[in-house]
Amino acid sequence: METPASKLVVQNLRKSFRSQRSEGSMQVFEGVSFSVQPSEFISLVGPSGCGKTTFLRILDGLIPHDDGEILLDGKTVIQPGPDKGFVFQDSSLLPWRTVMDNIILGLELQGVDKRESKKKAERYIALVGLAGFEQHYPHELSGGMQQRVNLARALIVDPQVLLMDEPFASLDAQTREIMQAELLKMWNQTKKTVIFVTHQIDEAIFLSDRVVVFSARPAKIREIVKVGIPRPRSLTVKRSKEFLDLADHVWSIIQDEVLKSMGREREEGVR
Amino acid sequence: MKAAAEREPRFPAWLGSPRMIAACSVVVGIGLWQLGYEALARTRYFKAYAIHHFLSSPLQVVQAFGELYRSGELLRHSYFSFLEFAYGFLLAIAVGIPVGLLMATVKKINYYLDPWVSCLYATPLVALAPVIIVWFGLGILPNSLVVFLGAVFPILLNTYTGIKSVKQNLIEVVRAFGGSRLQLFFKVMIPDATPAIITGIRLAVGRAVISVVVAELFGAEAGLGFMVYFYSQRFLPGPVFVGIVVLVVFGIVSFLALEKVQGWLSPWYAHQLRRAAHGMEVEQP
Ligand SMILES: Nc1ncnc2c1ncn2[C@@H]1O[C@H](COP(=O)(O)OP(=O)(O)OP(=O)(O)O)[C@@H](O)[C@H]1O
Ligand SMILES: [Mg+2]
Repeated sequence: METPASKLVVQNLRKSFRSQRSEGSMQVFEGVSFSVQPSEFISLVGPSGCGKTTFLRILDGLIPHDDGEILLDGKTVIQPGPDKGFVFQDSSLLPWRTVMDNIILGLELQGVDKRESKKKAERYIALVGLAGFEQHYPHELSGGMQQRVNLARALIVDPQVLLMDEPFASLDAQTREIMQAELLKMWNQTKKTVIFVTHQIDEAIFLSDRVVVFSARPAKIREIVKVGIPRPRSLTVKRSKEFLDLADHVWSIIQDEVLKSMGREREEGVR
Repeated sequence: MKAAAEREPRFPAWLGSPRMIAACSVVVGIGLWQLGYEALARTRYFKAYAIHHFLSSPLQVVQAFGELYRSGELLRHSYFSFLEFAYGFLLAIAVGIPVGLLMATVKKINYYLDPWVSCLYATPLVALAPVIIVWFGLGILPNSLVVFLGAVFPILLNTYTGIKSVKQNLIEVVRAFGGSRLQLFFKVMIPDATPAIITGIRLAVGRAVISVVVAELFGAEAGLGFMVYFYSQRFLPGPVFVGIVVLVVFGIVSFLALEKVQGWLSPWYAHQLRRAAHGMEVEQP
């Protein structure tokens, strides 16, 4: 069972969605359990549609689960709140707010004094490298800059856990690599616990202490891959043998799962 | 590069601007109207069919404008029409926005009101106006009621759809930060729906101007619609066109003013529109 020091514990999580078309329901998770240490960087990978986004939303308390338990610092998670920070896939910035006002949104919703929030925001704006852009509107920023605002907005409420849903998916390859390096730098400075969903296997390995591989739906944990590559990591480790072997390994599991799920769908189609 | 810079353009750039072209188009149109009238006036049909009772030239319209203005008649009629417009239009905003908000956020209210809104919206105002005049008599207030009925639905329905189509991901952001329903409403729904609401108000301007005229055609003792009707019955086309032009100018000016308000309240929206219109080539400020 979990050690008492675990930051986040997921025990035997079950979730199904009522399906609209047919009777009955669609099972998404069938007993998922794992625990995360404080300041650990975890990535979630798995076949498309296996339930990664759903998993994060449950962890955040945005949607309810059917069975099982989620404990953050030993307390059951029931609703979203400032103890968890969610970084959405599309940056989801409020277009009528400046960079500054977007970043302090979380504090504002908590009723923190505006002057105080803005002072605090300066630090996070510097942290994500957006000094000088405080008064810009989202439409005046590049995609990468919008994602930095998205990140700063989640960080400023000082969450215990950062839940990130494919935050770099919409970025081009170069920007993505830069953002990965910046994220690691920030993680080093803030020592947050991070759960990071991605489709890119190399991204998962590069960032994480452990990579959790989900099976196809109904999702279970297929394997938890420990990444032993020492930190701090530079982008060059992506070409090391150790890194490539790990990537191969994770890739073969996912491919296996994708094939299995395709086979299953074909069988269901025949029936 | 150098050759291009040295070459003197044949016309200054502002002559080719869209605004300038539009202005030229109007001037040319009016000029053709004047010339056409002059040409017609020299034919024998002009006298034979008493065309001056049906048509008038731009110059005659200007002349009629001067006379109506000096006699104070134009101002009096404009004043009445403007009051009807203002009362009806402001009431339409004051009712349309809150009711639209309520219908979009409280399901029960929507169920009750939706059939009424649909029916009234589908009812031709021209058919309703005489009934209202019969019920409430002549005067500014009954006419304002007609204007209200004409203007309220674009505002109400645009408010409703504006709130209904608030982006789901923005709602989720506020929820993820633990925001309350009230905060969600004021910090996401209202700002996100603002451009749609103002679009509704802009559409309502046109309908309100039409409603002013419709109401005055059926019963009034003053007003621009009344003036148009009065002089057309007496075969005096000059003042008729004066009334029409004043109404048109008023409609256009209000519409453009609201466009400014829209750009001022939600600059990000104007940007999105421009982006949609010109592809991605929007200069970064
Ligand atoms: N609100 C919902 N109602 C019903 N079904 C849902 C709902 N949300 C997700 N699902 C279903 O649950 C499954 C998992 O969805 P989810 O978005 O979590 O997958 P994912 O792993 O994030 O996929 P991707 O990698 O493509 O982002 C999908 O089959 C999806 O159709
Ligand atoms: Mg997803």
